[in-house]
Amino acid sequence: MGFDFNSLLAFIIFGLTIGVVYGIVALGISLIYSGLDIVHFAHGEVYMFGAFLGLVLSRDVGIPYPMALVGAMILAALLGVFIERVFYRRLTRSGGGYTVAGMGMIICGFGMSVALMNVAFLIWGADAEPFPVEFVIPPLEVNDISIPPSYLLTAVVSVFLMGVLNYFLRKTKYGLAIRAVAHNKDIAFLMGINVPMFISLIFGLACALAAAAGVLIGPMQSVQVEMGYLMLMKAFAAAVVGGFGSLPGALLGGVMVGVFENLGAAYISASHKDIYAFLLLILVLMFRPAGLFGVEAKVKA
Amino acid sequence: MLALLDGIKSVFEALGRVHRLLPWLVAYLLLLPMPQVITLIFGEYYVDLANRACLFVLLSVGLNIVKGFCGQVTVGHIGLYAIGAVTSALLALNYELSFWISAPIAIVVTGLAGVIVGLPSVRLEGAYLALATLGLGESVRIMLAVTPELGSSNGIMLIPAPAIGDFIIESFNHYYYLVMTAALIGIYFSFVILRSSTGRAFQAIREDVIAASVSGINVPFYKLLAFVISALYAGLAGALFAHMPPGFLHHNNFTVIEMVTLLLMVVLGGIGNIWGGVVGAIVVTVIYDQTKDYYFYQPLIFGVTMVLLVVFMPRGIGGVIGQAIVRRKFIEKHEEQNLGAT
Amino acid sequence: MKHWNKILAGVATGGLLISATAALAGEIRVGITMRMVSENGQRYGQMVMDEIDLINKAGGINGNTIKATLMNDECKSDKGVANANKLIFQERVHLLMGSTCSSVSLPIVDITAKAEVPQIIPHSTSAKITQKGSAWVFRVPVSGRYYGGVNAKYVGENIGKRIAYICAADAASQNECNGLQEQMKLQHGVDPVYVAQVQEKEVDFRTHMQKIKSAGVEGLMVSAQAETMSRALIQSYEAGIGSGVRRIGASMASNAPVPKIAGDSVKGVFYAAAYASADTRPIAKLFNEMVSKRYGVHAPDHDFSQAYDMIRIVEIALRSANLELSSSSLKSDRTAIRDAIANVKNYQGLASGPISFCADPTPQCRDGNRTPVLIAYKKGGEQFETEVLARVTMPIDFGL
Repeated sequence: MGFDFNSLLAFIIFGLTIGVVYGIVALGISLIYSGLDIVHFAHGEVYMFGAFLGLVLSRDVGIPYPMALVGAMILAALLGVFIERVFYRRLTRSGGGYTVAGMGMIICGFGMSVALMNVAFLIWGADAEPFPVEFVIPPLEVNDISIPPSYLLTAVVSVFLMGVLNYFLRKTKYGLAIRAVAHNKDIAFLMGINVPMFISLIFGLACALAAAAGVLIGPMQSVQVEMGYLMLMKAFAAAVVGGFGSLPGALLGGVMVGVFENLGAAYISASHKDIYAFLLLILVLMFRPAGLFGVEAKVKA
Repeated sequence: MLALLDGIKSVFEALGRVHRLLPWLVAYLLLLPMPQVITLIFGEYYVDLANRACLFVLLSVGLNIVKGFCGQVTVGHIGLYAIGAVTSALLALNYELSFWISAPIAIVVTGLAGVIVGLPSVRLEGAYLALATLGLGESVRIMLAVTPELGSSNGIMLIPAPAIGDFIIESFNHYYYLVMTAALIGIYFSFVILRSSTGRAFQAIREDVIAASVSGINVPFYKLLAFVISALYAGLAGALFAHMPPGFLHHNNFTVIEMVTLLLMVVLGGIGNIWGGVVGAIVVTVIYDQTKDYYFYQPLIFGVTMVLLVVFMPRGIGGVIGQAIVRRKFIEKHEEQNLGAT
Repeated sequence: MKHWNKILAGVATGGLLISATAALAGEIRVGITMRMVSENGQRYGQMVMDEIDLINKAGGINGNTIKATLMNDECKSDKGVANANKLIFQERVHLLMGSTCSSVSLPIVDITAKAEVPQIIPHSTSAKITQKGSAWVFRVPVSGRYYGGVNAKYVGENIGKRIAYICAADAASQNECNGLQEQMKLQHGVDPVYVAQVQEKEVDFRTHMQKIKSAGVEGLMVSAQAETMSRALIQSYEAGIGSGVRRIGASMASNAPVPKIAGDSVKGVFYAAAYASADTRPIAKLFNEMVSKRYGVHAPDHDFSQAYDMIRIVEIALRSANLELSSSSLKSDRTAIRDAIANVKNYQGLASGPISFCADPTPQCRDGNRTPVLIAYKKGGEQFETEVLARVTMPIDFGL
């Protein structure tokens, strides 16, 4: 098979559609990073929980898919606030960032990830569950490339969520407060901002985004207990590529990771697909730790 | 209990004053009859468990050097372990090298790989470093999983057990002497490193990178060195694992779950505490084995333990015991002083 | 620090308790190591235990009871090896059953050969297991070497010769995928149109489907574990590969999650396995009823049937074996059990053909089951339906 422009276009579109989902999970990771100075290693499990909650809401409770999406986001946000209040709060008190307690947070994240995965396993079992959703719109056919409605919907909803978040952060009072907390907690506190509450809010928002990604991807890839880990790795790569703490960067990073791995799988080797994301992650970290899009990363002494 | 620990400690310290290697020699002699003792009390399977515990001791002591001494967060250690194991196995299978040649080569190769895993540490810190090393470690596993020459789906089979002349080290008891010796030497060197100028440089970097570089420590060099030393440990453990009968390697022995288990060992023992790491490795291996019947809850127990440890006991078992000993001594001294005063 | 004393004391007593489980005479000890991570894995692990319970309740084996110890190996070789060591050297089992994954069974074969413990395998297809030449291993399922042959014959004659392959990186999927490719070459002289090796748990197959769509094929083989296979099947339709292209599955297509997850996409999928729940023999009907009643499964897959056949074969062998079962006769009892299993001939059970073993440590003797059954899905979903296309008993030397 020689080079075929149409195929290339198809691969890029496939990468884009999955990339936006990486993007919203990465957005959550970025948010948490800017709020708490930690990388949340259990975020993949929040994503998985979100997917399962959405499934339970839409299949077992019987509410329509869009409502299930919102419901799962709210529930996952509550889960996130719970995690933050009970565990991370104590750790942030003893110093976050790159201190020894920072190492504790990474280990804590890993432990939480394993524990949450096991909890999901005990509740829902190990097998994948189908997430059937009736889409009324037909698949989009462009030049022999068929894009199923689930992917279209995902892309639209993801971009919409990011838009809403961006509006919230830029144009509202609460958003301003969150940005202040992210910038400097001490000064924000002196300015009369209830910092602990806003950190919980950040965590909740981030978890809601992860859950949204889970519910969106459920109909495409079915829902399974181990789904979180791979998504986490891709989202990390996306967050790093876009620059930690940068919201538009996270979206761009996600899309880049998606396109990069799809092209790699198509033209180099499909069995190495996951390595491409890691490769991108490592290369960007090595040569441009602040991300490709030039946002200055926060460096703490 | 504490008095016992304290007593052992003082006995070994007294031995150390005679010659610095003497306590290690005594410890070695004490550990020699362990297979027989274990077989007698628990059964011969537990010798196999002890062998695996020794491998994990090596891994956790090695991880402690980079994590505990030098304060670098690495999550790619399991990848190095895999590199050591696969290198030694392939050399033994494809070039028919004996274990005594393939293992040192594997250790060196792993050390070189340690340079690669360590390179990000020159520029990155904390969470960024964790991500980079996680990516590297996972990449190693995926490469093993998809490359036929590295075993891929079927794994690497029939790796020969180490042999001295015609004598093949394959029973649990014989293998014990090999891994126990390796583990004890590993622990010994970890103490040597801790007390050397290198160890102090590591600790200086852990406490404050800027202060360390101001005091003339070549920070990138020492960071890399820490990674390389810990990689050497991982390489040794990997080679020993590969040749341990039945000599089989599969990529799913090197997943993130195994890495989390390793982290748990170090955290349980206390980050930066050598004996803590040893105790952590043994305790986790034994608990893992004894709770096999509750496999559905194992990750939950492990995960929750990790979280609770980090939140409530950040210095682990080693830290708690160390603190208790110090407190006891303090109280004793105080009481003596009080008695003297009255 | 009081609690540390308690914990240490607990660990010590725990160890002592375990060592106190001394060997009892009149007890046939059986160790089982299986992959218990999937829901079906748990269920058929339970079925093995229940069946052993039933044997004991019905009076046991010649007055002796079977004591079974079940362990989970999570399909990881290090865990499987540890389990096997524990079962052999701690529980001192007379017979080892397991494992269900080839990558775990392979190292255990070496252990049982060295420790001289009979091992009977419920569900690993890798041809290498019996090719190691161990005198102590028996395989109940159909060996992977037979699947390629029947698949290629059916595919070449009924589907076509332009075949694309999507193969996951795990052992079983690779074996079946390569098997079909080799046999297509041997039997029909054709090369694959398109081959993609994907990761074990790949979630996105759209790039491959796009390429396959433009390549124009008659058949598409998806060889992967249940969930991965289901996703690939769904995405093949989403990408616009019509139902004119026949989907070919590996034997893992038999596993219940496939029709459940893939839904309608599973319709028409052809695969070969060791057991078809659409089997009309009375024994199969009874078995289907039993499994769906006891374990709430719509229809048992060949994991269930093979585990069940294994228990029946073990029962036959144990009844005929002359066992002393004293603490000093462990070695001779193990040998007796091995010889008794090797003497099982023409066992007619759930497997589509007879299962026979013999004494030589060769694949010819130890791959007992040579009859794959060709199956096609008629309907997907929870209440899936299948139909039997054919049963083929393969020549004993096939694929060696």
